[in-house]
Amino acid sequence: MSFSGLGYLIKEGFKNVWNNRIMSIASVCVLISCLVLTGSAVLFSMNVSKLVESVGDSNETTVYLDDGLSRVEAVYVGRDIQKLQNVEKAEYYSKDEAIKEYKDMLGDEVFDNLKDDNPLPDAYKVSMSDLSKYDKTVDKILKIKGVDSISNRSDIARRLTDINNLVQTLSFWIVLALGIISLFIISNTIRATMHNRRFEISIMKSVGATNAFVRIPFVVEGMVIGFIASIISTVALIFLYDGIMNIVSNLIPFTAMPIMSVIWYVAAVFVIAGIVIGALSGFISIRKYLKKEGNEILGW
Amino acid sequence: MDKIIEFKNVSKTYDTQTHALNNVSISIDKGEFAFIVGASGAGKSTFLKLIMHEETPSRGTIIVNGIKVSNLKRRKVPYLRRNMGIVFQDFRLIEKMTVYDNVAFAMRAIGSSPAAVKKRVPYILNLVGLSHKAKRRPSELSGGEQQRVSLARALVNNPAIIIADEPTGNIDPEMSFEIIELLSKINEQGTTILVVTHEHDLVRQFNKRVIEIKKGRVVSDTNDPLLSENADEVEEVNFTVDVPTPSIDDVIAEIKEQTDETNSEGNSAEEEI
Repeated sequence: MSFSGLGYLIKEGFKNVWNNRIMSIASVCVLISCLVLTGSAVLFSMNVSKLVESVGDSNETTVYLDDGLSRVEAVYVGRDIQKLQNVEKAEYYSKDEAIKEYKDMLGDEVFDNLKDDNPLPDAYKVSMSDLSKYDKTVDKILKIKGVDSISNRSDIARRLTDINNLVQTLSFWIVLALGIISLFIISNTIRATMHNRRFEISIMKSVGATNAFVRIPFVVEGMVIGFIASIISTVALIFLYDGIMNIVSNLIPFTAMPIMSVIWYVAAVFVIAGIVIGALSGFISIRKYLKKEGNEILGW
Repeated sequence: MDKIIEFKNVSKTYDTQTHALNNVSISIDKGEFAFIVGASGAGKSTFLKLIMHEETPSRGTIIVNGIKVSNLKRRKVPYLRRNMGIVFQDFRLIEKMTVYDNVAFAMRAIGSSPAAVKKRVPYILNLVGLSHKAKRRPSELSGGEQQRVSLARALVNNPAIIIADEPTGNIDPEMSFEIIELLSKINEQGTTILVVTHEHDLVRQFNKRVIEIKKGRVVSDTNDPLLSENADEVEEVNFTVDVPTPSIDDVIAEIKEQTDETNSEGNSAEEEI
């Protein structure tokens, strides 16, 4: 045998997709819904993470300092905070950094009328080792001279994280269910092809084709279906994401993660997932036939 | 001469407890041409299926072209089958493929290179006399031509054995004769040929070895085609037993059985004509 001999069987796999196009389209559609849903869930989760990050992570409290405190005084305040038992880390966070972050998040134009004025105070970002002692520690911090107030945004962060977890769990199960459904539908599609080609299968076996060879056209058929679905899914996801993010950004002041920054990653994962699911379907569905011999294949 | 097919005390019992083959020992030499005859249900199909490893024997040993078939591993089966070309009664040609592609398919299925296919297929089509119909579809051909395509497909991978299962069952008598003649021609080039048939008239026209299977046993194995024929003629030639002689009662019983069977077959054949 030679490698070039495989070409024919691979071509047959492509032909199968076309000859059995109604079922192929059904398979592609199911796989698309599976992939798009998975992709949406992942992108949603990435955006929530980004949002959580920008709000400050759940274990971080911002301690604002009195306005007009000198740099040296600020350092002393920092040292006092650090001395407290429950404080793990206190990082200086200047008002310049703060405004830069706001600008990044909300866009420059919002701050245009401020010119060079920066109304934000300097601050420390404090993380605590034990959140159950949170209130006590906050009281202690507030007693330190030079501390103006404490902003605790951890509630929002926590809620966002909760939503994110919920979405992740939910989408995991939906994707699992859809994954199994697409596997099932694709193998049925391929089974239909196999039924149409049972004559050829029986002849292949009678002339001594190895099981691997008999499989090739069907595995290729599955892979082609998977590939087509993954490409359409990628394009669909781009439009879907842009559409949804346009609506979302009108509702809340939030710059979504641009899809183009991850699109190649998404496409690669889709293509691999699509091809693997497709190949697996082909592999599974032909097993039954490979065990049969002679007229059994033809159902006689 | 080397044996190419050897059955040693082979029995095959199906789940239904019917004895499809009962303690059969027989061997076929390399380059031989043999007819396997017997009524339907006699065990001919089982005999073929065992050779092809579509079934495994319940007892006994089978060796085909040096390969011990009786306990062959599944993944070795394809390589066993590359030793044999199968011709089916119903041709089993793929309708959506041309004659050329039908023959080429057997090569492509085992991974032959496109160059090899291009070289070999026209040669084989020429051998069976169908070069001019390479681009036709099977349905555009006569039964005899279709069977020649089927034969070409069986030959194309250059097997050591050709197994033809009722190759003339679906075609008219003159064509049948041509098919068997073509098989003889192939046989002359060294390929072993096994032809399963129940057409005694056809067998009679060729002076070949005839193995008769009845109720799962080999009941006669001879190079004299008259022995396995219509009993009327057997009487005419003054039936002599030159195989190991059983008791005369057995022989008479045997002949009677044959008479009944072949007569009924002959009658139905006449009606059809």
